[in-house]
Amino acid sequence: MNPDLIFILFLIALTGICDTINQLFLKSSIDSLKIPHTANIFKILQFIIKLIKIPQIWIGFLFTVVSLCIWLFVLSKSDLNFAFSADSMHYIFIALGSGIILKEKVGLMRWAGTICIIMGIILVSLA
Amino acid sequence: MFKKNLTLKILLFLVFSDFLETFTQFCFKKSSLSQSGFYIRELADVATFLKGVSASPFLWIGLLSVLLTFIIWSAILSKIDLSVAVPIASFSYILVPLVSIIFLHEKINALKWVGISFILAGVVFVSLSSKERKAVP
Repeated sequence: MNPDLIFILFLIALTGICDTINQLFLKSSIDSLKIPHTANIFKILQFIIKLIKIPQIWIGFLFTVVSLCIWLFVLSKSDLNFAFSADSMHYIFIALGSGIILKEKVGLMRWAGTICIIMGIILVSLA
Repeated sequence: MFKKNLTLKILLFLVFSDFLETFTQFCFKKSSLSQSGFYIRELADVATFLKGVSASPFLWIGLLSVLLTFIIWSAILSKIDLSVAVPIASFSYILVPLVSIIFLHEKINALKWVGISFILAGVVFVSLSSKERKAVP
């Protein structure tokens, strides 16, 4: 592998980690709120407004901005096909983060599904 | 009965957020294409790069789409586990090839079909794991 490719892969992994951190902040913030059991659009918007008053959301948002900048740079360097297939590694970060930090029960079935999806994405993107 | 409807609704929401996600990626690629010859060597180059990208209207349409996705995504996450929502959202990898086949009459090779079935199988596995969890509280 040439050093350019390794650098791009490293950057893609970094965007995956940044996105995962953002998702973890978002999910934990949502869980800390009382969730409206309704399809009423105004209730949902009220919920969103309450949500964006939580500072963790904005820390997560910062990570997204960093991730977006890196991602735009990656896209200017490499194919969308390659970038997307390499980006599928963020499913691993999500599964690990959800299990370790959010204490979600990521069992064998969920891991099997996640691995299946990653293999599928690599095939679809590169084939 | 109500619960069953809710699950279908969440799935529809996920598919819709996938469409938005795909649209966002399309916009971002369009905006960054204008900067393909660009090399970042120092910090000042980053600013120049961002300035060039933000001149493209596609970046702003993409950002608007991100905002809408955020609202829908938050609604989804309030209902289901993160480790379920994210893998199921991989549906967009199936949507794009299917749309290409149906509307653009593109040819899809066998390996891509294998990939699509892998993703489908994965989504089914993850969905089943979610039901299992609810059955045993």
